[in-house]
Amino acid sequence: MDFLGQNEILVQSTLTNFLLAMSLLVCLRVGVFSFGGLACFGIGAYFTAVASIHWGWGAFSSISMAMLISMALGALLAPIVRGLTGLAMGMATIAFTLIAGVAARNGGELTGGAEGLFGIPIMVGTGTALLIATAMTILLALSERGRMGRMIEAVRVDNELSLSTGISVQTVRFVAFVVSGAIGALGGGLAASFRSIVTPLDLGFGPVILALTMLIVGGARSWLGALIGAVFFTWLPTVLTSVGEWQGVVYGVVVAAAAIWVPGGAVGVATDLRRRLAVKRRVRNAIPVKPKKAMVS
Amino acid sequence: MHEIIYATTLASVYLMFALGLSITWGTIDVLNFAHGSIFMFSAFSVYLMLEHFDTGMGLLVMVLVGAGVGALLSGAVHLLAFEPLRRRANARDREMQMLIVGVGLSAVPVALANKITGGNPFGLRNDALKVETLHILGVPITSVQLIIMVVAFAMAVAVQQWLRSSRHGLALRAIGVDDETSSMMGVNRSRLALVTMAGAGVMAGLAGVLVSLSFGAMTPSTGDFLILKAFAVIIIGGVGSVTGVVVGAFVLAGAETLILTFTGGTWVDAMSFALIFLLLLVRPQGIFGRRAVVKT
Repeated sequence: MDFLGQNEILVQSTLTNFLLAMSLLVCLRVGVFSFGGLACFGIGAYFTAVASIHWGWGAFSSISMAMLISMALGALLAPIVRGLTGLAMGMATIAFTLIAGVAARNGGELTGGAEGLFGIPIMVGTGTALLIATAMTILLALSERGRMGRMIEAVRVDNELSLSTGISVQTVRFVAFVVSGAIGALGGGLAASFRSIVTPLDLGFGPVILALTMLIVGGARSWLGALIGAVFFTWLPTVLTSVGEWQGVVYGVVVAAAAIWVPGGAVGVATDLRRRLAVKRRVRNAIPVKPKKAMVS
Repeated sequence: MHEIIYATTLASVYLMFALGLSITWGTIDVLNFAHGSIFMFSAFSVYLMLEHFDTGMGLLVMVLVGAGVGALLSGAVHLLAFEPLRRRANARDREMQMLIVGVGLSAVPVALANKITGGNPFGLRNDALKVETLHILGVPITSVQLIIMVVAFAMAVAVQQWLRSSRHGLALRAIGVDDETSSMMGVNRSRLALVTMAGAGVMAGLAGVLVSLSFGAMTPSTGDFLILKAFAVIIIGGVGSVTGVVVGAFVLAGAETLILTFTGGTWVDAMSFALIFLLLLVRPQGIFGRRAVVKT
């Protein structure tokens, strides 16, 4: 408890960063390179801020309403961008996020313009947030197992093949967009309540880079990757204070290097290692088979 | 009339910036997201030189330094990041990884410049350089604006001619169609790719110096916004088409100038993002594009 008391702010930002990473992960796992979760993070943060400051809403109502709105946005966005793949999807959703940023900048009194909104009441305790994040993690971990896990994996690896085996690719993608929106808005709402400030920068390039860094270094295939990335990049600047100054440089180089040489991230490396060991063990334990002499005609 | 001058200058800026990006994307299949930071850092290097060594260098020296820095950075990015990536990644994940690498690398120069300037705008102050205001048909236009327009169009024409009629241009277009077959025909892909990337860097560096001279100042994050606008320009015109870039630059600049005159400017940035979004949905191959951006 003492540890928690001393590092409460760090724990809080780890949690919100983790939720942000998870919301992007939900889409990446089905092979959709969408930044929609990021937009929902910002929109969730803004909605929570506006609802609690201007309308006096409580934590539960404002954050759950933010989640509903983001889910609706995800549901709207999914059919619009359904034809896009790869890079085009990435750019379209970055554009969407930045449009939301411009809208926030121009929202006048409601969104506080370029300065953003501050003085958001602290409505959620760290313990509650921890519970919520754990629940989300369990749900996501469950979706990585069994039938559901195999289905998601199939959609990511090969659209046509999964269609031919009876998986409705568009439905899976649609659900991914909606879930990603919900998790993003949840993270954003909690972040707004913890930090008590939202600015248009929350819908800018900074979060794009941070989210990518976390996922690429941690691994973009499972919740564990998101967790590793979130913990690592929230605590790194405090552990290495000298890095704090050069944060942008270090992060940029790390992301680029990881994307080139270890695209699977930490989790990917671990999985590869485990598989290789398993193969070795199987080879060692196997009953030696004497090669038969080839028939000579 | 004033608006037309403004729109033309803006279109020329977009043209200079987007041309290199479009050519590398359309031919050697590299979408360099770090192009914007290279643009910014070239201008920033000239700024550092002005601050520390010599305040009296002429326009030509400044432009050359900017172009040189741009070429160096762009070539380095290609050799250190995109070339290894091309060798390692499989085709399906490559686009995504390329975007991530570019976004990551683009953060480095921005962070460096932010560290040195403290996030403040920097301008190329130069005592030797006098910006004159000319009057053409009664419309005021600065000499720098005139230079930008001339350079941008000269660049577009030169690149178009080079691609169309030179041997190297032909080889580059061949790579764009099918890089394996073209290497079998004796095209040295990696060397040509490096030269193309360096050329794109030259254009980015030139644009960086001229833009910061024309607009007075630039912030470390200017490049980030410009890259998205350039992306809009390319998407409008079609990837790899020089004519497309020219048209796209004018469409975007015209639309932004209209918004600026009628609403006072705060919504200008949303325009390019909205254009990207709409065009990707409606006509992903652009107006003049032969090849769709989307490959399913």
